[in-house]
Amino acid sequence: MRLRLLVALAAGLLTVASCGTGGTTAGSTVTAPAFNDSDVMFLQMMIPHHEQGVLIVQLARDHDVRTAVKELSAAIEVTQESEISDMKHWLTDWHRPTAANPDPQAHTAHGGMRMTDPDLVGALTKTAGPEFERRYLDVLTGHQHSAVELAQTETAEGVNPQAKELAKRIFESRTAEIKQLLAFTT
Amino acid sequence: MRLKRKFIAAAVGACLAPIAVVVLPAATASAHGYISSPPSRQANCASGAVSNCGSIIYEPQSVEGPKGLRSCNGGLPQFAQLNDESKNWPAASVGGTVTFNWVLTARHATSTWEYYIGNTRVGLVNDGGKQPGATVSHTISMGGFTGRQKLLAIWNIADTPNAFYSCVDLQIGSGGPTTPPTTPPTTTPPPTSTTPPTSTTNPPTGGTWAAGTAYKAGDQVTYGGSTYKCIQPHTAITGWEPPNTPALWQKV
Repeated sequence: MRLRLLVALAAGLLTVASCGTGGTTAGSTVTAPAFNDSDVMFLQMMIPHHEQGVLIVQLARDHDVRTAVKELSAAIEVTQESEISDMKHWLTDWHRPTAANPDPQAHTAHGGMRMTDPDLVGALTKTAGPEFERRYLDVLTGHQHSAVELAQTETAEGVNPQAKELAKRIFESRTAEIKQLLAFTT
Repeated sequence: MRLKRKFIAAAVGACLAPIAVVVLPAATASAHGYISSPPSRQANCASGAVSNCGSIIYEPQSVEGPKGLRSCNGGLPQFAQLNDESKNWPAASVGGTVTFNWVLTARHATSTWEYYIGNTRVGLVNDGGKQPGATVSHTISMGGFTGRQKLLAIWNIADTPNAFYSCVDLQIGSGGPTTPPTTPPTTTPPPTSTTPPTSTTNPPTGGTWAAGTAYKAGDQVTYGGSTYKCIQPHTAITGWEPPNTPALWQKV
């Protein structure tokens, strides 16, 4: 488990974030890095994670779930889409690819399967009736836990103020979302 | 964790020497799972149903310890609150057969799922090393136990020496429903009124915006000296302050 993670991380770092220690450094003696490899990896992993999350919460639109669950899901959808847009802009500004690998599944191996597998979404899609809401809440809760973990790693290891601020907000808001989701579940 | 940092440090160092790699305390263990319903102790902590739980509220999925333990905290001192019997753990009313639902954040290959009341193993599900499905539910007979009971559920991982632990407090009736009630004992909406411990995002200037408030489209609030109009109905939470969430709030 941990070994696989390490190998994936090392490979990702070497291939993707080559010398990602920050923007223009020429001419200044004190060179605080604008961003580091951890910032890049955080954004590159968070973007597909968010995109998967958007696919999950969209399932609430057309299924029989409580109004409050629908409302929370819709709010999660628009806030995560907005964050995706921000994160892509930052990576573009940093001249870094917006994904470490175009295949989102490649990330599954990275963060210890932090991505919610597409087959989870598929399994949810095929679930109907009251069973759907319970499964949906469990899947979404697990998914947001993973976002909290990614954010904690960024808080510990990133240097870019914008990315760290986003990580802080993700940590806070996802923890609060999970609180609501668990209250629905129980 | 330490190895990972070494990789990062090595990769960074190879590129550009003069930056300091600040090594902070470990952020978190990697991820896993717990029982969401009937609510486990860590679920009751993370949902706010039980307060003063410590750091478990941020990672209810991380109660991981060596296989063979019989404690609610998996032997982890930072989660000692889960063993605290003096806490007022709510007991879910259930019948003689209970369906347990798990939240998973990593679908580890699984040897078995075990369910204990005291020293009696009332349930065993053998996955034979398979990866669990999209969601995991087990319907377990309570083996004739009645009244208030503390059930310990154990998720034994196939390819590590570890297991994940969840304690569930139950009030077992006889001949009751075969599944736990889907409605919470309190019919109040989710407990959004309490704010997370870090309230540093609320600037001293404040405003009328408040976490825990349900806002409708069109509602107006002030925050940090500006006025915002709600464009997406939601219950406000820390991390969703108006200046940070243009998808929810439009500056007026």
